[in-house]
Amino acid sequence: MTAAGEPSDAEVVAQVLAGDAEAFGVLIARYEGGLLRFAARMMGSRDAAADAVAEGLVRAYRHLGSCRDPARFRTWVYRIVANRCKSHLARRPVGDVSLDDAPPIAAPEHADEGVDRADQLERLERALAMLAPEKREAFVLKHLDGMSYEEMSAVTGARIPTLKMRVHRAREALLAALKEQS
Amino acid sequence: MILVPLLLSLAFQQPDGRLEGHVPAAALPGIQAAIAKAVQDSLPTEPLIEKALEGGAKGASADLIVAAVNTEAGRLRGARDLLRHAGAPAPYSARELVSVSIALARGVPEPVVTRVVSAVKDSLPGFALHAVADLQARGFQPDSSADLIIAAVGAGMSAHRLLDVAAAAEREVQRGSTRPQALARIKSILPAVPPQPLPPGAMQGAVRPRKPATP
Amino acid sequence: MKNELDPRIHRALDGELDPAALDAGERALVARLDALSRSLSAVPAGRSVAHRVMAAVRRPLATPIQRFRRWVTSPQPITVSLRPVYSLVIAVLLAALLWRTPEGPKPVLGAEEGVAQFVARFPEAHSVAVVGNFNDWRPGATPLSDDDHDGVWDARVILPAGQHEYMFVVDGERWVPDPMAGRYVDDDFGRQNAVLLVRPHRTQQ
Repeated sequence: MTAAGEPSDAEVVAQVLAGDAEAFGVLIARYEGGLLRFAARMMGSRDAAADAVAEGLVRAYRHLGSCRDPARFRTWVYRIVANRCKSHLARRPVGDVSLDDAPPIAAPEHADEGVDRADQLERLERALAMLAPEKREAFVLKHLDGMSYEEMSAVTGARIPTLKMRVHRAREALLAALKEQS
Repeated sequence: MILVPLLLSLAFQQPDGRLEGHVPAAALPGIQAAIAKAVQDSLPTEPLIEKALEGGAKGASADLIVAAVNTEAGRLRGARDLLRHAGAPAPYSARELVSVSIALARGVPEPVVTRVVSAVKDSLPGFALHAVADLQARGFQPDSSADLIIAAVGAGMSAHRLLDVAAAAEREVQRGSTRPQALARIKSILPAVPPQPLPPGAMQGAVRPRKPATP
Repeated sequence: MKNELDPRIHRALDGELDPAALDAGERALVARLDALSRSLSAVPAGRSVAHRVMAAVRRPLATPIQRFRRWVTSPQPITVSLRPVYSLVIAVLLAALLWRTPEGPKPVLGAEEGVAQFVARFPEAHSVAVVGNFNDWRPGATPLSDDDHDGVWDARVILPAGQHEYMFVVDGERWVPDPMAGRYVDDDFGRQNAVLLVRPHRTQQ
């Protein structure tokens, strides 16, 4: 799953376990963007997301020897970060989803697309933020991180039929949020 | 479904998070290629990332940054070859490779570096090479400098104390000895070379480098 | 439920059904959800955490005593109801454990860390920072200070033992190799970096 000529995750993991701690930077570079976006959706805050991802990556490094299938490092590290997010959220008071420091709204693909597009994106972001965490997690992993249901099951620990149900309900909720305005 | 492959390809083309915004975008493919090659060759990647960041911070062009990163990779390969040739036991840490690379960059001749590495091959060569390079920078002959440092190792001095040996030789010159006299004098008192003390209060208020602020 | 989509649409989005098997209206909904996902994916990831992570990766694990001390001295979200006398005893124990010296707390160094002292004389400067491979070459990360305004700037920085390359940046724009370093290497960018060797602090006790 890497670009041609680049070492695979398994090769990099082997190098780190052989003693080259610095090679872990290659794995950070590959996955931190996706992890930060995922965590930002889960936490509702970029700062909290950065904390969860940093903690998760450090844990991944310290427990790298227990990654049973280095070829599936991606799902393994996503699982660690997803658990960090859940752990942080569990300590947070219910309803404390601060949209003030939520991730910035996704930019329209073209600068001249106007206010309507920006409004639509803002509505989508809010609708996503208002989903129950497990539905939001499932939608983000499926549609924004591009995981298969098998991979999502490895990340979340949930069964595939359960994940499908969550994704389906999330899709419906987001479409409904768009319909309300139009 | 085009969505999954599109998202996957976007995810795996991301540049190193530390580099984005800190080096010209045009440099990123060349830097990534050098890093990937380093991983394949089991070379450390951190010195390459640091070299790229250095170039970005100093306002270098994309071409110059990529060239510098590749030069650094070449130096690390050369350092690894030298360590192998000197019989140092593999694997080689980034610190070992960088210390050999810096010694060569400071002008210590390759045969001298090889000799020092061979003599200390059971421990990290960084302090020994640094001491030889310090002596050379102060006008001592590289071979004679290496002889003194190797003798200090043979006398049982620990790696970090080799810097005290170099400093002691320099003090002898300041007291009026010629350089050959200084080397001979210090060699004669090994291992009883006085250590350089840490200045009082040096630990107080010491901080770790802060997380860099976003530009 | 009024918001439910036809299961065929879900199956197409899950890659289990060819969208060509859907009617035009259903295909439009699939396309809408695809576009919606692309829009949501376009958010920038945010500030990299790589530096933080690698700093932790490079740092040796704390000893059990150090971990206990950190746990005791850092705020914990625990609420405990105590009789006043027990509160007093615990307060006394905590004060003893904090062991603050009159000059301020001494940092706890890892086995392979040492203290680097950077000193430079820039009498006309408004700011001086040290930049090097230990702080990703970013000015602002490690400023020096001149508290008595005598033009001598200094900083004490905890660094991993070993060799480090660095320069000073004066007033945010002038890059200067440390004139007192005595050790230099070409930086491959037309300048010279100073080289510093940090000894492990344990070797200087």
